[in-house]
Amino acid sequence: MASDRPIIRAENVSMEYARGGEVVRALGGLSLDVREGEILCIVGSSGCGKSTLLNIIAGFLKPTEGRVLLRDEPITGIDTRCGMIFQEYALFPWKTVQSNVEFGLKMKGVDKGTRRETAAKFIKLVGLEGFEKAYPAELSGGMRQRAALARSLANDPEILLMDEPFAAVDAMTRQLLQDQLVDIVAKTKKTVIFVTHSIDEALILSDRITVFSSRPGRVKAILKNDLPKPRSAAAQLSPRYLELKSQIWDSVQEEVLQQIALMERIQR
Amino acid sequence: MTTQPAKAAGGARSAPRPPWRHRYTAISAVSAICFIGLWELAAATGAIDPQFFPPPSYVWHELERLVADGSIFDFILVSTRRVLIGFVFSAGVGIPLGILLGTTKLIRWIVEPIISIIRPLPSLAWIPLSMLWLGLSEEQKYSIVFMGTIAPLVVFVTDATMRVDSIYTRAAQNLGAGRLRIMWEVILPGALPSIISALKVTLALAWTCIISAEMVGSTKGLGFLIWNGKDLSNISQVIIGMLAISLTVLALDTIIRGVEHRMLPWHRGQDKR
Repeated sequence: MASDRPIIRAENVSMEYARGGEVVRALGGLSLDVREGEILCIVGSSGCGKSTLLNIIAGFLKPTEGRVLLRDEPITGIDTRCGMIFQEYALFPWKTVQSNVEFGLKMKGVDKGTRRETAAKFIKLVGLEGFEKAYPAELSGGMRQRAALARSLANDPEILLMDEPFAAVDAMTRQLLQDQLVDIVAKTKKTVIFVTHSIDEALILSDRITVFSSRPGRVKAILKNDLPKPRSAAAQLSPRYLELKSQIWDSVQEEVLQQIALMERIQR
Repeated sequence: MTTQPAKAAGGARSAPRPPWRHRYTAISAVSAICFIGLWELAAATGAIDPQFFPPPSYVWHELERLVADGSIFDFILVSTRRVLIGFVFSAGVGIPLGILLGTTKLIRWIVEPIISIIRPLPSLAWIPLSMLWLGLSEEQKYSIVFMGTIAPLVVFVTDATMRVDSIYTRAAQNLGAGRLRIMWEVILPGALPSIISALKVTLALAWTCIISAEMVGSTKGLGFLIWNGKDLSNISQVIIGMLAISLTVLALDTIIRGVEHRMLPWHRGQDKR
């Protein structure tokens, strides 16, 4: 069965880089499978290599050791099948929402009419009709991130790599964006790898949650998130939700404490 | 789905000018009139010697003469033409070269020493060589403008290119853009605001180049007008030449600002004027 095969498989991935004359080990022999069509959330303390892993999958970085397979083939460079959503939106400020969303199609050489149609479809999907001609600077943070999502989706990636995408928006907007994301992923049937600091966010969005150990990053725990969908505000009060939350927190807490101890040692 | 208030999109573009703007203009006008009045008064009371510092009325008479024989317009046009032609060459070479330098390390290492040698040279230093090579032709004037502006322009554009946030490049790569497309679709528009600022600065530089070139070897242009006025001890003519430079540069500046406004639509509403 297709859905049993991992769409992404990280095999023993290590990543080291030099910073200020010191070698930093961001990832230390990490292995992880991502299943097709799931939303996998990665939580962990800051500096645990979550973003590094996304950058390796996107092809921006090459691991020092190990490899990442996309549908059984090693990733060797930047691949448009992995669409990246940045925390800073990264919308092109000099392009309108429409042109931003059309960008990937333009690079593929798709003709103007088709581009327009596809862009309109995804702008509608993220609820930005009427803002086609607006520039990113004229949009709110939440709207910018929706435009960035539309831009990525229009390029039809198989996997969405989301690097703390909602961290820069206010709490109310974040909740709306989370609901929309779940809705959109269900409609478009994408696989999502979602990096977050927030255990609540992970519990609301995910099918599975993986906790990373602090530097060097490794998979510390993987949990199946069996909370019933849709996960409304009420779901966050259910006993199972609280049980999962404390389970993840225990796991993360150890790592955070270790990380703090490490930082203090470095400062001394 | 949420739809936030539409004024977020429209508001920034059609911000009305504040009503007190007219008052600023009025104050500026009164200030200018007072300055001219005091100047005239100083000459009339004998506080300054009109032979060495002619009052506005003398300058006005001289202006009437230069307007009557048409030479002032002729000279403005000649100098503007020289500046613009030299500058177009400079921009045509400087902008692409700067972008190339900003994006390709190897080329930067090759070209940088040459630029570093040219950059400290004032435009005056190029005049002897250019005269020997090109005589007193129009080409010699263009070459002075070119040599005087190319190095700073390249440096400005290289800086602007390198300062484009790499996140845009990564986003573009992630969406399937190759090297050339990134230069055209990301680096150039990303650097454009700074490039236009650089053009404004170097255009002012181009004027200093042409004025010095015209003072040394020309029978036309505003630089010649000033130098000739000095030779004839016609100080009014010198002052008119200087005013003509100021006003022409200001007029060109206004035109550039209009072009800038059209070329950077995403910057509208962010003007801090």
